[in-house]
Amino acid sequence: MGRFLLLAGVILIPLTALILLLQRGFRVMAERYQSAPARLPSTKGFLLFLLPLPVLLAALVALGRGSLGGLLGNAAGYALFLAGALLLRHGLLSEGEFARRRVAKAPWPLKMVGSGVIALATGVTAWLGAHYPPAMAGAFGLAALLGCYLNYGFDPRTAKRFTDHDGVDTTDRVLEALEQAESSIAAIEQASRDIRNTELNNRLQRIARLARDILKLLEEDPRDLRRARKFLNVYLDGAQQVIEGYAKTHGRVSAPELEDNFRRVLITIEEVFSEQQQKLLESDVTDLDVQIEVLTTQLKREGVI
Amino acid sequence: MPDFMRKFIGLLLIFAAIGVASCQALLTSCSPDASVISSALPR
Repeated sequence: MGRFLLLAGVILIPLTALILLLQRGFRVMAERYQSAPARLPSTKGFLLFLLPLPVLLAALVALGRGSLGGLLGNAAGYALFLAGALLLRHGLLSEGEFARRRVAKAPWPLKMVGSGVIALATGVTAWLGAHYPPAMAGAFGLAALLGCYLNYGFDPRTAKRFTDHDGVDTTDRVLEALEQAESSIAAIEQASRDIRNTELNNRLQRIARLARDILKLLEEDPRDLRRARKFLNVYLDGAQQVIEGYAKTHGRVSAPELEDNFRRVLITIEEVFSEQQQKLLESDVTDLDVQIEVLTTQLKREGVI
Repeated sequence: MPDFMRKFIGLLLIFAAIGVASCQALLTSCSPDASVISSALPR
């Protein structure tokens, strides 16, 4: 037993350090190539899908040998591992989203629930799959829970609130506007799937991408919401209605004139969205210019410059 | 506790708990009389 523990320690410690170093290396590389257009799906929480694979094999072996107890124990353990890993992964992704935004509600405590389910899965596997005594299986579960807590942390609990320059809390209004805009973009994307024309589809994809970029700017700095009110209330809604209407009609009626008109409208929408994005970016630069000027004046007054 | 150290200990615990429990479950299910643990324990 002592030799087994020593061997496990000798393998586990360098392996863990190697994984952490690799993670850090990938993060540095990701920061360096942040402007790359295509992004691979995140690998957050992937380890918890890989580690319990022997439990699946154990369930298959138990099935092959006709051992019902082993099959049930291992299958239950693996199902719990899978559910816990999925919850934890969703929790990690929504935490990333929460960190990116300046205004956001506290996410569902998926990381905490996922860690709890993984702890339960470890306990069930140790008890029913590996036949450890229940107290020992509980210790395995607690160790897994502590490991998840230390490695992944628990969910953020407080919302990121936003107050405008008059000191009024406008968090709910901002979130509502962003949600509505997001659903309009989703409706545009859905409608574009019903239109069987490559050129128009490409234009619609570009429009949806532009709208999402604008929304990202608004999420990062909700003060811009005032400047983008027309975009949210008029342009985006109007674009959604026109695109949905065309998607419904063009299949039934074949009119080249209608297609030309639609193409012209799409070109205009694309231009308007680009202008809106440019305006928001320019306003950020103007804000920064003002801040720099204020600071310079203050430093001059203090006699530093 | 520094962030790197916290993550290192966390990962170590995850490997130790989940890795050992799942590998032991596989060994138990492959062994002919499910006596892997008792044979590993000191007499």
